Amino acid sequence: MFSISRRRLDAWMINIALVIICLFALIPVATTVLISFKGERDIIRKPPNILPCDTPESAFDPSACRWSVEGYQRVLAPRPSDGLLPFTLTGNIVRIYIPNSFMYATSTALLVVFLSGMSGYAFSRYRFRGRQAMLVSILAITGVPLLTNLLALYHMGVNIRRAQLPFYDDRLFLVAVYTGFFLPLSVWIAKGFFDAIPRELEEAAVIDGCTPFSALLRISMPLALPGLMAIFLLTFVNVWNEFIAGYLLVAKNELKPAMFGLYEFLGQNIINLQVIAAACILIALPIVILFIFARRTFFAAMMEGAIKG
Amino acid sequence: MQRTEIRRKPRNRFRNLLPFWLILPTVVVILAIQVYPAFYTVWLSLHQRQPRGWDYVGVDNFQRLFRMGVFGESVGHTIVFLIGYTTLTLVLGFIIALLLNRKLKLSGLYITVLFVPWIIADIIVGIVFRLLVVPDYGLLSGILQNPAIFPPNGISVLTASRPPSWFGGFPFPPAPAMIYLIMASAWRALPFITLLLLAAMQTVSNEIIESSRMDGANGWQVVRHILIPLMLPTLVVALFSLTLGGMNGVGMVFSLTGGGPGTSTEVLSYLLYVLGWSQLEFGRAAALALLIAVVNWALILATLRITRVEERSH
Repeated sequence: MFSISRRRLDAWMINIALVIICLFALIPVATTVLISFKGERDIIRKPPNILPCDTPESAFDPSACRWSVEGYQRVLAPRPSDGLLPFTLTGNIVRIYIPNSFMYATSTALLVVFLSGMSGYAFSRYRFRGRQAMLVSILAITGVPLLTNLLALYHMGVNIRRAQLPFYDDRLFLVAVYTGFFLPLSVWIAKGFFDAIPRELEEAAVIDGCTPFSALLRISMPLALPGLMAIFLLTFVNVWNEFIAGYLLVAKNELKPAMFGLYEFLGQNIINLQVIAAACILIALPIVILFIFARRTFFAAMMEGAIKG
Repeated sequence: MQRTEIRRKPRNRFRNLLPFWLILPTVVVILAIQVYPAFYTVWLSLHQRQPRGWDYVGVDNFQRLFRMGVFGESVGHTIVFLIGYTTLTLVLGFIIALLLNRKLKLSGLYITVLFVPWIIADIIVGIVFRLLVVPDYGLLSGILQNPAIFPPNGISVLTASRPPSWFGGFPFPPAPAMIYLIMASAWRALPFITLLLLAAMQTVSNEIIESSRMDGANGWQVVRHILIPLMLPTLVVALFSLTLGGMNGVGMVFSLTGGGPGTSTEVLSYLLYVLGWSQLEFGRAAALALLIAVVNWALILATLRITRVEERSH
């Protein structure tokens, strides 16, 4: 874009600009980590200081830093016990809400992978009447946000609850709602991944005596595995991060997901910023680690979805 | 001969119906969770809750919704929010994409780092930004509340009310909390938009840019006359997707401002929550949900049209 003689200088300038932008992107994250390791004494200081490392004599003294894990202690609330571990974690967030979120995210992601794998394959391999119309409708539905249907879903939930079905509770309904909302995008992503697998492989398998269904299971599914993995991860993260449906569609507090736990926590700890920060870190950390290790998979799924939607 | 013929038939029929069986579960789930509730919302918006059941009231819910002062105010807040949010995100996203659009050794690292905000839940982003401006104790409050830097009294983001309006009742200039909400939302949306724009930018061929360079165009002229026109469909898609997300994203409002101070960050999506779940005005809430849904559908259909046109032109 620029003349050759200036290219090296430009590269330096661009790198510096990008490093600054990255720092800006990370500042809110970094300050939250900092806050989570402060003690109460340093949280309620006026004016606030960035690092808890000042002494009456100097503004910054690395040896005087008062780092503290008080925030984490109050979120986890460890109690001594004589089980397998010498302590148990009794904080509501780790005891109730994070396991709930894990259950919702895993079961929704598995369901979505299963359903979108099947229908994505059909859309990719077969030409049938109404195919194009269905694909376009699914694409259109992909854009529909949860919010506008929420009121109707809430009333549906109330009506079903009133019917007192055996074995039914709000968890089932919430997983169904999440599945319905994250499925359309996944169908498109799955179709894209199946489109990339050459048809000839299956045809060869069928000629060699495979049924179409077992060709799907034995040939296409393994090849599509990275794509299905991407759908799993994307759905998992989406469900983990979802707040409003988990908050409104589930009646009992002990069945609500982690984002609700965090919101509830925010109301209980107005001044104790270190506790809130620690709770945020504990809930966001699994997802951030997952993202860093599987970023290629995420980007693949995202671009597949972004090109269409 | 005969035997193979007989054995083949049911298998063929199953084979012909295979795509149907594969798609059926998906269609059932989508009908139950997406399509049925949409019609149910329409039904709810035309009825009113009475002690003995639901009464048909026609468009009464809509009329009562429009008569509410909060409704007009929320429309204003939503417009201010959307204009600020889309502009800020698109401009910053375009600039960052422009910087990333070279062969740099560290691009992979930059993209990974820049993407961290996108993976964090909106409710957590709201809390993280809230922690920075908690009155007196937040790290930014030390600067923002300092009267020497922001005369006359300093700014307290979470408690300062909206300055007097410039145009009648329209909420502009917005409250500091609204500006802060826009910044926090943009921070979270930036990675996705940046990557979307970067992908579109990489499809613009280098030859066009280099030949215009030869003809003496400067960097700004290349952006203005080549990149922006060629990327226009993507820019519009990005604008629509931001508008959709901004109109319907409610988590950040919940955790960052809770609609306050006063009602200064009460956007339509938050009003829907207030009407439907804290005031239990189901009819009016359904009317509002339907209005938001209509805007959503218009945006979705427009996006579909644009992507179709783009596909045809390629």
